[in-house]
Amino acid sequence: MLETSRLLLIDSTRNLLKKMKTSPILYMFFSAMLFFSIIMFAFLTFVILHTETIINFIDVFFSVFFLFLLKSAADLHTYYITAPQVAYSLSTHQLQRRTIGQIVLSILLINLGLWFSFSILYLLVLSALHINVNYPVEYLLFSINIVNAILLGCTLALNFFSSKQYRLLPTLLLLLFCWSSQSLLFVVCMFPLVLLQFFWSLSHALDSYRFVKRKERLKERIQATLRSPVGALFYRESTVVWRERLFFSFVSMSIFTALGTGYLYVYGTDLFIPESIKDIIGDFLPTLFVFLGSYIVIMYAAVFPALNLFLTEEKTMWILRSLPVRNQTIVYGKTTMLGLCYITTIPYLAFIPVFLGGSDLMFLSWFLGFSFLAAVIIAVPLGVKYVGKKSDILLLYSVAMVLFILLSMIGMGMNFFRSSAPNGMILLLCLLLLLLEFILLFLSLKLSARILTKQATQ
Amino acid sequence: MLFGVQIMITVQNLTKRYGKIIALNTVSLTFSDGKAIAIMGENGAGKSTLLKICAGLLPFEQGQVTIDTFSIVNQSLQAREQLGYLPEMPELYDRITGREFLYYIASLRKLSNAQEIIESLSKMIGIEEFIDYEVGGYSKGMKQKISLLSAIMHQPRNLLLDEPVYGLDPLASRTIQEFIKKRQGATVLATHSTQLVEHVADAVYFLMKGKVVVFDTVENLMKQHGTIENAYFYYKDGKHA
Repeated sequence: MLETSRLLLIDSTRNLLKKMKTSPILYMFFSAMLFFSIIMFAFLTFVILHTETIINFIDVFFSVFFLFLLKSAADLHTYYITAPQVAYSLSTHQLQRRTIGQIVLSILLINLGLWFSFSILYLLVLSALHINVNYPVEYLLFSINIVNAILLGCTLALNFFSSKQYRLLPTLLLLLFCWSSQSLLFVVCMFPLVLLQFFWSLSHALDSYRFVKRKERLKERIQATLRSPVGALFYRESTVVWRERLFFSFVSMSIFTALGTGYLYVYGTDLFIPESIKDIIGDFLPTLFVFLGSYIVIMYAAVFPALNLFLTEEKTMWILRSLPVRNQTIVYGKTTMLGLCYITTIPYLAFIPVFLGGSDLMFLSWFLGFSFLAAVIIAVPLGVKYVGKKSDILLLYSVAMVLFILLSMIGMGMNFFRSSAPNGMILLLCLLLLLLEFILLFLSLKLSARILTKQATQ
Repeated sequence: MLFGVQIMITVQNLTKRYGKIIALNTVSLTFSDGKAIAIMGENGAGKSTLLKICAGLLPFEQGQVTIDTFSIVNQSLQAREQLGYLPEMPELYDRITGREFLYYIASLRKLSNAQEIIESLSKMIGIEEFIDYEVGGYSKGMKQKISLLSAIMHQPRNLLLDEPVYGLDPLASRTIQEFIKKRQGATVLATHSTQLVEHVADAVYFLMKGKVVVFDTVENLMKQHGTIENAYFYYKDGKHA
């Protein structure tokens, strides 16, 4: 009766087990990072409770709610809208909406599994810290709302990837009601409506599949010309960045991050920190906001494209491997494209002085350049190592965590140094660190080329 | 020397495993200059694996593969210099056009006369109409044509074709068959099409469960069994279909 759900769950489980078997270090590292994050959140809760910092529970709830909403929307996109294997089950005599419903059921079970495992682990750590976690009714309501979030996420994906996007309106209205109510119970009461509009969306769910599967023939301006091998690799990589509109989204993200960071730099301390501890961390907080802003810019402008240079090449690797091109040339050619991504961080540097003033701009430019290089040094060899393993989210998360720890240590060290050392000394240290990074970058690219060679012979 | 001509590709005692499954079991084959040699066998017999290994795309456990006397492992750059490869189901870069893709390959192969070659081959194979459209919108056959063109544009001495006419329209299929017949150098065809083998191949290897069970000229096999299909079933089941 639930053949599609069962098959999808079996397939997902086997896939996970296979990946764990083939990339055990990556998965062990990811689990450690995940565990570390949960402990960090629990510890943060502990600090918040003991410093009387005002954190709205509803804000936390909606953060988790939207996280699951986005995750399930992405899952539906993967398991249904763009999944080629769905064609087989859709072409059987089964009702198509029933098949799609079964896919949603699998997504629901997978995400609920994640919710219960993470939340229980978090509660266990909290209770170990002697914090009262005995709120069964709240936990139940929270869990029901996770179901709401998953169903709404699936509905959003179904209607977003469709020729009739106006069908998104009921879902968006429902989300608006939920958000404006600012009440856990109200969102729970919305469950029948969520269910109703989910079934309504399910009745025309096949539209999304047909809409995405249509093939558009796009004619492009003729830009074909002979280039050097490195130039050709750069051109190929940068064409994707242009045509997928990634360049513009990176630039706009840079501007928004700068505005958000600037706003928090000016008003953040008053917004979040209670008077009682303002004297202790008040001075430190604006710097932290600027650090987080720079970190976000680096994440999407460096880590994401650097990892994807090779990670997404699984099916097209045959093209490069069957050509008489040195692996070193391939790595250098592809990596040069990251220079284009670095340009997208300039709007961040251009907007942030509006809030910070010009005095720290030099240091911030250095820090951004330093962070960018660090991200490339870490991400490129990992992307090469795990090409075709489809572990991009795990890798992204792991690299993000490593980079966070590394950059916060460097940032703290440099801030301390700036307050005590003369300017000439600081400049020298900055230059030395950059020089060290360039050496490491060279070694990292060499290592990447070596991994690429090894993969072909082992 | 095979057929009295120079041997271009040599595979010696090659073994390839996928976990516990042995895909190729100490196989030895040779492919010579000016000859089109087909590899036939049931699904999973190891045909595509063999071609991937010869193209330097897959590692292997044991044995030796040389292309133009260059080892595909230790001298892989030189070996790939004179090699063209067409995979069974070619995946291409979706967001670049067919022409951009061909120039990309020409740039990486450092071809100086790319424009003339692309113009003449695209006419021959029938892709001028859609060459300036993004590859992501191509049909299976269009992708096959672009990949085939990228494999032959540098006029390689050695050509490895995995199901070369799969998904092609009759005219393109005929053109490719004519091209294979006329070309110099070694051509290796992995295929299920007995018709293609009869039309273009000089000799054929039957590969069963990772082992070579027979190697003979197409002429001899046709003389003995009437058709290549009959020969195939004879060596597979011990009797004609």
